[in-house]
Amino acid sequence: MMILDCRLQYPLAEFELVIELSVRPGVTVLLGPNGAGKSSLLRLLAGLIKPRAGRIKLGDRLLFDAHKKIDLPPEQRRIGMVFQDLALFPHLDVQQNIAFGLRVRRQSQAEIKPQVDRLLDKLGISLLAERNVTTLSGGERQKVALARTLITDPLLLLLDEPTAALDPSARGAIRRWLHQVLGEFQIPTLLVTHDAEEVAWFRKRVAVIEKGQIVQRGSYHQLLREPQSDFVARFAGINLISGEVIEQGLEKSFHSAGGTRLQGLFGSALPGPATLAVAPWEVMLFAEPPGGSPQNVIPGQVSERIVLGDRVRVTLLGKEKLVAEISLRAWEQMGSFDTGTKLHAVFKAREARILNN
Amino acid sequence: MNRPRLFTSFLALASLLLGLLILLPIIALLLASSPGELLELLFQHQVQQALWITLLSSLLALPPIFLLGLPAAYGLSRFSGRLRRLFDALLELPMVMPPIVAGLALLLAFGRRGLLGNLLADIGLRIPFTLLAVVIAILFVVTPYFVRRCTLLFDGVDHKLEDAALLLGASPFQTFTHVTLPLVQRNLAAEAIMALAQGIGLFGTVILFAGNLRGRTQTLSLAIYTAFESDPQQAFGLGALLLLISLLLLTAVKFIAPQEPVR
Repeated sequence: MMILDCRLQYPLAEFELVIELSVRPGVTVLLGPNGAGKSSLLRLLAGLIKPRAGRIKLGDRLLFDAHKKIDLPPEQRRIGMVFQDLALFPHLDVQQNIAFGLRVRRQSQAEIKPQVDRLLDKLGISLLAERNVTTLSGGERQKVALARTLITDPLLLLLDEPTAALDPSARGAIRRWLHQVLGEFQIPTLLVTHDAEEVAWFRKRVAVIEKGQIVQRGSYHQLLREPQSDFVARFAGINLISGEVIEQGLEKSFHSAGGTRLQGLFGSALPGPATLAVAPWEVMLFAEPPGGSPQNVIPGQVSERIVLGDRVRVTLLGKEKLVAEISLRAWEQMGSFDTGTKLHAVFKAREARILNN
Repeated sequence: MNRPRLFTSFLALASLLLGLLILLPIIALLLASSPGELLELLFQHQVQQALWITLLSSLLALPPIFLLGLPAAYGLSRFSGRLRRLFDALLELPMVMPPIVAGLALLLAFGRRGLLGNLLADIGLRIPFTLLAVVIAILFVVTPYFVRRCTLLFDGVDHKLEDAALLLGASPFQTFTHVTLPLVQRNLAAEAIMALAQGIGLFGTVILFAGNLRGRTQTLSLAIYTAFESDPQQAFGLGALLLLISLLLLTAVKFIAPQEPVR
């Protein structure tokens, strides 16, 4: 089975990229904020820039090894890359763009033509064959760029923000298409994005990169459920309350910046600045503060109320800002309250995770 | 509002004066000879010879200009650092050199008593006062300008397109021939014409290094110089002729060069 294994170090302007990552057949999503080092990682893997140290292994081929002084040039790595702005050759039409990789391998026109036709057909873009690439729509350009790469039989595929350049209306269709095509080809693929919807499409394997390091790995579900950093939590639409962990003897407690004392799972959180994260679906709403098991209660006023199908998203503004997601039925049972209503947001200590910043 | 308007009028006035400065002499030169006279000139054997040598030497200089200039320009555009700055400075040397001095320098390098004189004599090559000298003079003066302009041209080519080509398996050379060159081919054609135009007008360097031998090294520019001493009217006619050729080339450049920047 073709697997990419890499261990890399590369200095960036503000931090060092230190990455250990393996990519198996199928899509691995690399998620991270802008400037986290995502694009640099892709360029390092592709051989367009050179790591300071480390090793890149694809299957049983060493592409780069700082110790053994191995550094294959990009054209020998058999890595396909689709750039964010696609980089289609403007002087060639669609067919010629796709045939490029075969032409530079000195295949004859007679060998190239059927392969291009077959791929165009397989990807459902035969109609574009003779079009000038500068007249294509964003989605069509994306398809041609992927076809141009796929025809060279890459052993690893790098996709840099494949839908970022598209207008939002075209994104959904292209994601579906990408999902289907990549599923058929089963090439180890690293897909870079900072878009939540994209992650939702390729949710099985997600790696999160922040400040040049992989900070979390797992399925999209795991990410949502157990965000291990600020960015992931924010990304998942999770409530974040900033404050401070204070240690008194063996007891740790969390004091929000707004002055509320809250309970949570401290895990490995150390005393000092920290963030409390709680998912909207873990926040319950009550008209009167309930008693009972150790719970956090934050009173506030409804500032926004959005009905999303059978769920209702309620934003409660008090000393803290909290978003709660409750079922439509629960909302109706509470008298279908509107903005301005005074309520209490309640969440259990064990649903609140406390993360150091 | 007053100040910008004043400034705008100043800009307009300056542009107008500059336009006149350029156009007046050109018009004067074109008015100095009648079309009939110009046509008659074209039938003179001596003029035909000079015209032939002018065009031939400039055309012969083109392949070496491209052969030396293109790789240099591409290299300059793709690499940076101290070596690039050094080479940049080297290219400026012939540009700031007075043409006469360039002619002298070429004579001292390739002449019979020059640095390479013995070497060239051994292989039986005599360069000064031959057509080859005209070509070398053109090469010496024109190539640096050519490299300068082509470097800018290559700078304008999106590096990502080259990266994409490499990742599709193209060698760096294939990337250059299959992607970079096709992207700038129209501009390069325009550059070729610019180089021709520049070569056709050379005077100082050529007259010192190649001499003014009718039928061998006498280009149109040199023929004008010779004619001016004996028959100014003939010189004006030849001048108009040379000017028309330059205008023709300029028009060609405007037609060939794409209006949009390269991407």
